[in-house]
Amino acid sequence: MNDAWTIYLAVAAALVLAGLYCLLTMRNLIKLFIGIEVVSKGVSLALLATGWARQSVLVAQSLVVTFIVVEVSLVATALALIINIYKNTKSLDVRKLARLKG
Amino acid sequence: MILQIALLAGLVLFSAFAILARDLIKSAISLAVASLFLGVIFFRMGAPYAGVFEISVVAGLITVLFVLTIALTKAEGDVRESTLARTVFPLFFVVFALIDVLVMKGLLRKVPVLAAAAEAGSFSDVLWKARTFDLVGQIAVILAGVFAVLALFRKRDHHE
Repeated sequence: MNDAWTIYLAVAAALVLAGLYCLLTMRNLIKLFIGIEVVSKGVSLALLATGWARQSVLVAQSLVVTFIVVEVSLVATALALIINIYKNTKSLDVRKLARLKG
Repeated sequence: MILQIALLAGLVLFSAFAILARDLIKSAISLAVASLFLGVIFFRMGAPYAGVFEISVVAGLITVLFVLTIALTKAEGDVRESTLARTVFPLFFVVFALIDVLVMKGLLRKVPVLAAAAEAGSFSDVLWKARTFDLVGQIAVILAGVFAVLALFRKRDHHE
């Protein structure tokens, strides 16, 4: 059980790191959002794996369901924001946002 | 356990491909496949509801939203990603994975042992009775998301 938990958490950490790397190095706004999605996959895997290792899958499962609902709301809002940014700047380049004044 | 490790490997590979792919559509579809793998992993861990949510909502709905946004923006060509970042990523990832596997076991030994007791009842008992406050939070977040999207797509008056 403990070995499996180690493997799950190692994979979750790798996913979180890959997502953070994407957030730090990529410039396309949609790509950055894909990075956030990868981080969220790592977090939900870590949540459920820990619940599974501690024999409390039901609580972990309800937390993961809550997490997914929050994630969907976040995705919808952020993608709407990205479309609005594209309408204003005609580009998805995150560096162009630094030029905004207001 | 071998199947589970194969599923985990698939999850990591597709997630890495989603980050590295140049084409945004390929990235979005790769992310959906990674979600599918994660959903199957959830099923095999005895969490069918989380698996269903992961597959239907994350692999389905979020992918549709991504594809829709990519279709509406159509400007991926104008963003040049750094080639160095793409080249370094596999090396960086492999080094981290090695360190991760070596260190994680030692780290987990230091985590204090939490109380582990078999749960009674069903998923609905836990979700509706024990986690009622989470449901209120979910409703608030969904409403906030709906109002945010409505506000962002609001047609502006000419007087403004």
